[in-house]
Amino acid sequence: MSVKPADSGEISGAARGALLELVKVTKQFGGLMAVQDVDLQVRPREIFSIIGPNGAGKTTVFNLITGIYRPTSGDIRFDGKSIVGLSADRIVSSGISRTFQNIRLFNNMTVLENVLVGQHTQLKAGVFGTLFRSRGFKREEEAARERAIELLSFFGRALVERQEEYVINLSYADKRRVEIARALAARPKLLLLDEPTAGMNEAETAEAVRYVRRLRDELGLTILLIEHKLMVTMGISDRIAVLDYGRKIAEGLPEEVRRDERVIAAYLGKPTRNEQATMDEKAAVDESATE
Amino acid sequence: MSTSVSSGMLLPTPDTRRLLIKWVVALIVPVVVFTLWSGESIINAVISPATAAGNVPTDPVSLIEAAIFTVVFYIAVLLLAGYLVAADTGRRSIIETWADVLIFAVVPLILIILFGLIIGLALCAIVWPLYILIKNQIRKARHYTPPAPLESLTVIDAEQRAILAGRATAGSFWFALAFAVISLVVDLVYFFSGSLPVILLIWAIVRTIILPVAGYFLGRLAGQIALRRTIPEKGNGNGGNGAHRGKRVASVQQQLEALSTTRVREEAKDLVPNDLPLRSSGAQRFYLILLVAFVLFYPVLDPFLFGSGTDGRLAGYGDAGYYVILALGLNIVVGFAGLLDLGYVAFFAIGSYAWGMIGSTQFGYITGIHVNPQIWPWFFWPMILGAALIAALWGVLLGAPTLRLRGDYLAIVTLGFGEIVPIVFLEMDKYTNGTNGIVGVYSPALPGVDWSSSTPYYYLILALIVLVIFANVRLRDSRLGRAWIAIREDEIAAESSGVNLVRTKLFAFAAGAFFSGIAGAYHAAKLGSVSPDNFSFGDSVIYLAMVVIGGIGSIPGVIVGALAVYAINVLILAQLDSLAANPNNFLYPVHNAIAAVFPGFTFGNIRNLIFGVILVIIMIYRPEGLIPSARRKRELRHAEGDEAVEIGSLDVPPGAPGFEDEVRVE
Repeated sequence: MSVKPADSGEISGAARGALLELVKVTKQFGGLMAVQDVDLQVRPREIFSIIGPNGAGKTTVFNLITGIYRPTSGDIRFDGKSIVGLSADRIVSSGISRTFQNIRLFNNMTVLENVLVGQHTQLKAGVFGTLFRSRGFKREEEAARERAIELLSFFGRALVERQEEYVINLSYADKRRVEIARALAARPKLLLLDEPTAGMNEAETAEAVRYVRRLRDELGLTILLIEHKLMVTMGISDRIAVLDYGRKIAEGLPEEVRRDERVIAAYLGKPTRNEQATMDEKAAVDESATE
Repeated sequence: MSTSVSSGMLLPTPDTRRLLIKWVVALIVPVVVFTLWSGESIINAVISPATAAGNVPTDPVSLIEAAIFTVVFYIAVLLLAGYLVAADTGRRSIIETWADVLIFAVVPLILIILFGLIIGLALCAIVWPLYILIKNQIRKARHYTPPAPLESLTVIDAEQRAILAGRATAGSFWFALAFAVISLVVDLVYFFSGSLPVILLIWAIVRTIILPVAGYFLGRLAGQIALRRTIPEKGNGNGGNGAHRGKRVASVQQQLEALSTTRVREEAKDLVPNDLPLRSSGAQRFYLILLVAFVLFYPVLDPFLFGSGTDGRLAGYGDAGYYVILALGLNIVVGFAGLLDLGYVAFFAIGSYAWGMIGSTQFGYITGIHVNPQIWPWFFWPMILGAALIAALWGVLLGAPTLRLRGDYLAIVTLGFGEIVPIVFLEMDKYTNGTNGIVGVYSPALPGVDWSSSTPYYYLILALIVLVIFANVRLRDSRLGRAWIAIREDEIAAESSGVNLVRTKLFAFAAGAFFSGIAGAYHAAKLGSVSPDNFSFGDSVIYLAMVVIGGIGSIPGVIVGALAVYAINVLILAQLDSLAANPNNFLYPVHNAIAAVFPGFTFGNIRNLIFGVILVIIMIYRPEGLIPSARRKRELRHAEGDEAVEIGSLDVPPGAPGFEDEVRVE
């Protein structure tokens, strides 16, 4: 698979180069069409954002990709292979990791332990190795700890120093970082970030934007992003898809999406900046069906 | 006496003198109590078996074991004295230390002397929380705040190291001397009252000379042990420019070399010197030595400690032991993986029947194979593993249908299994002999061991418990254990981190069942019979109570929980009636008074009521269990907000109502 930069607004026929591809994916909860005929192509090393008003089905799309839900119809391909019907942990092993909108860390485990759980798919120790503390087991645990610290150091010194802290004691921004470190621990190719700046102040948001970029540039990850803050999405994304009532109503470069009339009508209301910001703040929570 | 060994080190400076008084007094009281109670009689029996009391063992093997225990005991205590003097910063008050030692060492000793081991310890479980409660009340009333924690690690330079070493030597020496003098006085009193044989008087004199010398050398050793827990000065010596002398702060770099900030704080508790040396892991090492020596030599010591009836007591501890294994096994399922299992007794029954059906003439009856009673008991050893594996297999089979269930629903289904399995054994009477059960189950076989006494079972269960604890600890601190805790914390996050829910849960069920299979095989062999009514829903609840009372997810906790519940339920409540029948017991008038109002009253009638009330009281005052795991403690205490949360972090945990609003406000 060649790594090519996301260069144009060309949308159709991009399937060949796509790392992740959704084909006519539909999810129905009883009578409610949460997601309807959504097509998406995410290319390698691209930062791709999904935006849309509340209840548009953004988080549902994430849950479909990561195997928490099974699509009612349609196909999801990753790296050319269909991942529909695989269990969530198999999908993680195939190379997709995620974070959650309302942070799902293991609160009564330490920072380090959280990242170690993230490495679960990478570790191989069996019952006998564990019970007899075989040399392989020790080496593996040692390496896992080192790697966990390395992952934490991606976010600077602060988390490394607090590695023994229970995560519940961390600040909100630090929890987000630990969650990303945990996701990275599984060595993903594709990282799904569900509102990575929710609940952050401006300085923290700016920092989050920086590290999301670094994730792509330094680690070579492909990133699929749900984001409410338009400032973040517009600044960071290579391409954006807009969902409304479970349907994709637009897709393209940030500039194109910003000018798209359907988008303005459905999501932004009126095209003035102030109004956008207000919308943004009032945006209540996308119904997180994972609860 | 002191002048003969004295050196500069042994004549304490005023600083050291305070520490010496503090620790010599603190330690000498429990040691003297123990010595007067039994230590002395053990030594006397070893030195002149002829003068020993009637019921104590006089065979050489027992005496040698008893002697080893005594030597280990006094050496450990002397070392501990030196270590504590060296490890104390002296910032906590003397009275507080004395009160702690009184409650945590002297009171248990006295309770054990009065009521026996298990009941004594069970009473301690009541006294200790009360003491802590009262202590906190007093502190609050007097507005006492403990000294602020040492916020940084201090480097100990060569000069201070010499002082610490000197303190340790002085600590052990003065302690030994004080102890020798007290013992000598007591012995002289006995001698002049004519009840001390001459040989023991000679020993008393020898001892008075040996002890201080031993104290001096053991003190030096204790000093070396203590110094290993200090932070030595780095060679270049540029550590403290301008810092006040003798209290140089370890450089930040040094602190963070291998440690995170949290760990620095944790580590500081164990370093020498620190504020609470009694609780430091250095001191814990000595407690462990004492505990291991005590448990290992217990069958020999028992007659010295508690007089006649040793075999019956050991049988009781053999039973308490399999409760410990069951609690540890259930702790994996409930404590680590968070799967509420109300039918755990099913696996215990399967393990019991596994050995019951194979290790008895029933096997020949079923299969037609001739069961040779000379050979058959040997199969116990492979079958203890076999029974565990069979139970584990059933753990997987019974666990499979419950995988999609959580919490209450899971509990109901496991409850069903707990009911079904004993009924199956009851109804398969062609193989299991139905209601009568299987009798004549073989004991294990081992050359030269007499399995008709309780001692071999004591050692067998001890070995099994050690193995099970070992396996538990290793599983917990591994990838598998982390996966269990992760699914307990958050299933969705766990599977999104790559944890296979099916495999992890089934493994938890299998591991839990495996250990109960071990307990089952042991139980069948010890009891010599198996019958379906040994396994009721009530038993499952008792096992769960052990885990919860001890501390969910905490390995030391569930061990204590198992012993506590066993003591309350089997040793205390079951014997209330026989105690009340004795006119000298304080329960006798109580029973008569109640029986006057309610004719026909027995304590047996309200046994479960009392047990229930005790459980409720424990859960109200100690919801996290007797020895909570660090995680669990956090979990339950967090709500009270005594945990420092960083400014800027949100108070509302994710998922709680109100969280979303809070997150949205920007």
